[in-house]
Amino acid sequence: MKKSFAVFLKRNLAFAKLAIVSNLEYRLNYFVDAIVQPLMTTGIEILLWFAVFQGAHTATINGFGRDSYLSYALWGAFFARIATSWMYEFRMIEEISSGSINSLIVRPMSFYEYYLSQLLGYKFITTVISMIVPIIAAWMFNLPTVFSRIPLAILLCFYYLILVHTISFIVSSVAFHLTKISSFTVAKNLLMWILTGELFPLDLIPDPYKKFIIALPFSSGVFLPVGYITQRVGHAEMVQGFVSVTIGLVVLNLLGAWLWRKGLSAYVGTGA
Amino acid sequence: MKTLKKYFNLYIAMFKASFISDLEYRANFFTRILTDIFWYAAQIVTFEVLYQHTDKIGDWNKYQMRVFLGLLFVIDALYMIFIHENLENLSEKVRKGDLDLLLAKPVNSQFMITLQKANTALIGNLLLGGGWLFYSLHSLGDFNYARLLWLLLLIPCSLVVIYSMRFIFSASAVIFTRSENLQFLWWQVYRIGMRPDSMYFPWFKWIILTVLPVGVIVSIPARALLNPPELFYLAWPVFLVPLLIYFTSKFWNFALKFYSSASS
Repeated sequence: MKKSFAVFLKRNLAFAKLAIVSNLEYRLNYFVDAIVQPLMTTGIEILLWFAVFQGAHTATINGFGRDSYLSYALWGAFFARIATSWMYEFRMIEEISSGSINSLIVRPMSFYEYYLSQLLGYKFITTVISMIVPIIAAWMFNLPTVFSRIPLAILLCFYYLILVHTISFIVSSVAFHLTKISSFTVAKNLLMWILTGELFPLDLIPDPYKKFIIALPFSSGVFLPVGYITQRVGHAEMVQGFVSVTIGLVVLNLLGAWLWRKGLSAYVGTGA
Repeated sequence: MKTLKKYFNLYIAMFKASFISDLEYRANFFTRILTDIFWYAAQIVTFEVLYQHTDKIGDWNKYQMRVFLGLLFVIDALYMIFIHENLENLSEKVRKGDLDLLLAKPVNSQFMITLQKANTALIGNLLLGGGWLFYSLHSLGDFNYARLLWLLLLIPCSLVVIYSMRFIFSASAVIFTRSENLQFLWWQVYRIGMRPDSMYFPWFKWIILTVLPVGVIVSIPARALLNPPELFYLAWPVFLVPLLIYFTSKFWNFALKFYSSASS
């Protein structure tokens, strides 16, 4: 049992390393992905918040001052980069649609773990490199940030990432039956764009929708971790975030496993 | 004139071919509409929520912002139908060597790269965006519908501006070969233009109307609908369009100097 776990761990560490190496291969590409894109998002959102406060003629909105929203915009952009999966989901779909999955399903590993470890490896290196930017910016501009809360916020975001991967697994399982499903990924990620709190802090939504949306596991991607760092939410909400992601993981993994089995039995292995 | 007719006929033939190929995947019509419904919803929800806490963003109130968003949806849908897919796939064509086939054809390569494939599945999105625009104009109450005539001039200008800027990003794939994230960067630049220019600081507004003209795409047509006519705002896109077309052509020829065929 111990030995098989060691093998599992070693194997998955190798997948994670593979993702790190392959993503760092094209450094300009990676630099744009990890630093430039979230920085631009931050800039655009910060300008929006300046305009909102100017139009509102008030020092606070929903109990928080302008600096709090600027801090949210800063951290939100970088957490959102971590909490989404485009590239690996497209790859998973492509593996199934093109038939190149044949070479993966005969190996002594699962399709789920192969891509999960790669996603986590890629996100790990992205976190290490990109998070330096908001840390420095928050410190330099004295934006409301509780630095000691960052590790727990990142932990919740990574836990949520497993849920994101599970959704990718479900979407890619559909590729066994339908040929063109990459637009599902786009639709799903656009929906997440709203539900994670990337666009605006979810507590700005009027009741009763606010409570419902924050209770969903998706708020653990951006709103809860960023709200925790910027003091919009406390420990209790973070615990609630971990719980809702856990429930989501159980439900979606069951669904994913069922869809995968159904897909594999329908799969004829063409295109190998 | 003969050349123009030849290109027009060629475009009609390519459009028909695209429509037939899109009909093959009928479910795609619905999934594309569904995808864009989420995108429209994200834009609308963001501003509706923000207007719960403020009366004005930039120069405009909630109702005017709805018109701005309606125009954004319409212009974006037109761009997506006629141009988007072609430029989106350029990087892939460069890497796989498919660009060779386009360069070898006896027509202008930039024309082929830009307009070879139309995405007719998105016509539904145009109807949806148009519906929202008319709804928002109607909710203004006192809107003078004759002002819509400005769009006949300004929407084509907006399309040329989006095209030119996106083209520069896409054509950079010929120089860098692997530049997927530069393509994603385009999205961030485009996002600046998805917000009204009046909400930006004056110096930044100047930049997005001139050097990086994403502000021209929606803000200027929206001003033409919502504000009294201002000569500068109406004349500037007309002046800008030939400049941008000339610049993209020059840039394409420059980028091609770096092209080394990837096909076997």
